[in-house]
Amino acid sequence: MDYKAPVESYSGSVREVTIGQGSKAVKIGGESKLAYNFFDEGSIPNPPRFALEVRDTEPDNWAPWVLEPYKDVVSDPVKWAQKCVEYGAEMVCLRLASTDPVGKDASPKEAAEAVKKVADAVSVPLIVYGSGDDKKDAEVLPEVAATCSGQNLLLGPALKENYEVIAKAAQEHGHTVIAQTPLDINLMKELNIKLSKTFPPERVVIDPLSSGLGYGMEYSFTIMERTKHTGVMFKDAMTQMPIIADLAEECWKTKEAKASKEQGILWESMTALSLLLAGANIVVLRHPETLGLVREILKQE
Amino acid sequence: MILIGESIHIISKGVSAAVKERNKKPIQDLAVAQTEAGAHYLDLNMGPARKNPEETAEWLVKTVQEVTDLPLSIDTLNPVAMEAGLKACTKARPLLNSASGRTDSKEEMLPLAKKYNTDVVISVLTDRGCPPDVDSRVESIMDTVAYANELGIPNEDIWVDPILLPVSADQKQVLEALEFAKILSDILPGIKSTIGLSNLSNGTPEELRGILNRTYMTMLGRYGFYSAIADVLDQELVRLNRGDLPQIVDVIHRAMDEEDLDISSLSQQEREYVKTVSTLLGRTLYSHSWLED
Repeated sequence: MDYKAPVESYSGSVREVTIGQGSKAVKIGGESKLAYNFFDEGSIPNPPRFALEVRDTEPDNWAPWVLEPYKDVVSDPVKWAQKCVEYGAEMVCLRLASTDPVGKDASPKEAAEAVKKVADAVSVPLIVYGSGDDKKDAEVLPEVAATCSGQNLLLGPALKENYEVIAKAAQEHGHTVIAQTPLDINLMKELNIKLSKTFPPERVVIDPLSSGLGYGMEYSFTIMERTKHTGVMFKDAMTQMPIIADLAEECWKTKEAKASKEQGILWESMTALSLLLAGANIVVLRHPETLGLVREILKQE
Repeated sequence: MILIGESIHIISKGVSAAVKERNKKPIQDLAVAQTEAGAHYLDLNMGPARKNPEETAEWLVKTVQEVTDLPLSIDTLNPVAMEAGLKACTKARPLLNSASGRTDSKEEMLPLAKKYNTDVVISVLTDRGCPPDVDSRVESIMDTVAYANELGIPNEDIWVDPILLPVSADQKQVLEALEFAKILSDILPGIKSTIGLSNLSNGTPEELRGILNRTYMTMLGRYGFYSAIADVLDQELVRLNRGDLPQIVDVIHRAMDEEDLDISSLSQQEREYVKTVSTLLGRTLYSHSWLED
């Protein structure tokens, strides 16, 4: 008797979201089947995209082996971002650590000008993360949105506390928004519903929070996987946004990653590969060798 | 459905303070309000009653019996308080709330139901916690009910509690409890049933809790569910239960049967009930904004 492999087809699909403008524009999402289910019906029009991380201030607690590839550029975000592109990043993820109110507490204007310089200097789309302080981000991100008007940055995190003001600025100035919720699929959907009342859902990317391997990664995996299940299999319009896995910091702050270079790169790679299997559409990495390793493994698919 | 008024609950600050100070008024006000609202039983939840369990239970029962003739549901996990509470019930046959499949409960609570000839709530909880699905709920309840029968407690005196968890915490468990309710009378003929209805909406924004509770009550009622420990101060819940809102019951039943019910011709209120059914059946992922989904 012949064996016939079961083939699933799904009724829903993830929204296709464009980040960046003009020649820099990159599409993510759009898949109508689950990640790496190459045997099922449906398509995955856009492969997952990889970003490398840049900070707007010199990091002070990075392991030497993750600082090493950037050692000549860490004091200059523009050069640092260009270096990331040289290393093969399809996007640059700029983290506005300087604006953290418990740190340097840089002004929104200062931060926004720095973002503009980076955005203008690189040939790839830019992801911008504020400090995560909801009040400060509510001042910083609208300023960034206005200063970089029309460049279609991917801006976040928009939280339940501050999504309105961030979405309004992103709407006015043509940007895309990262909606972030703390490892909870019900709250994730809740924020998407609220955001979508005034903001186009096809310009939203979900950040469910990405924990590192050994530090709760399975929670992130489950939420990403369930998000794709409800969106692609059950057509839930409010979970059909692409997902960003912002995992670099969560991997590199572990004692394992700080113990040796090889271990650090493997830690980041394993976390990235796992979350890609769960359906992540953008992965934020830190070490260029991780990027190389993950890409090489995916090629052997 | 028999409605057991839930408002005299030790977690409520007003109740807790009143019990502590032996202040009858706030407790009696709640008892009267629930009696007038249409409750069939009143639940007296005294929690673990660590301090003076006997005296507290006796005081609470007497206080409530001064103002109402309704039967009482004595709600504590403390067997000493339970016995004192049951003993103090002089007006109507009380309900022991609750026993379970836990070893200590089988040994210390169930015999009290026999001794005082009461009705008894038996939940599906076991020493291992809450059974995760229908099959394990069935396994647990068959075992505990058989044990109760051997003690001489007939099925007719047993009110099975499937244990309802908040939909905001575990949507799947809501469906498991409903599926269990559906088959309960087939597996245990003559058995009664009850459920802590408001736990469904624990964690949901206050103003949205009612519709969740009311919808689930109506869904359970369709399967012949016997009673619920509920917020009888919710007038719409009482009216719905009394049969005053047949069009809402009808729309809930239709939504249960038809996944793609056309809602365009329905009123705003009916649409909200349809969306709530959809969420409670796990057809859509729960969020606090399910009515706007």
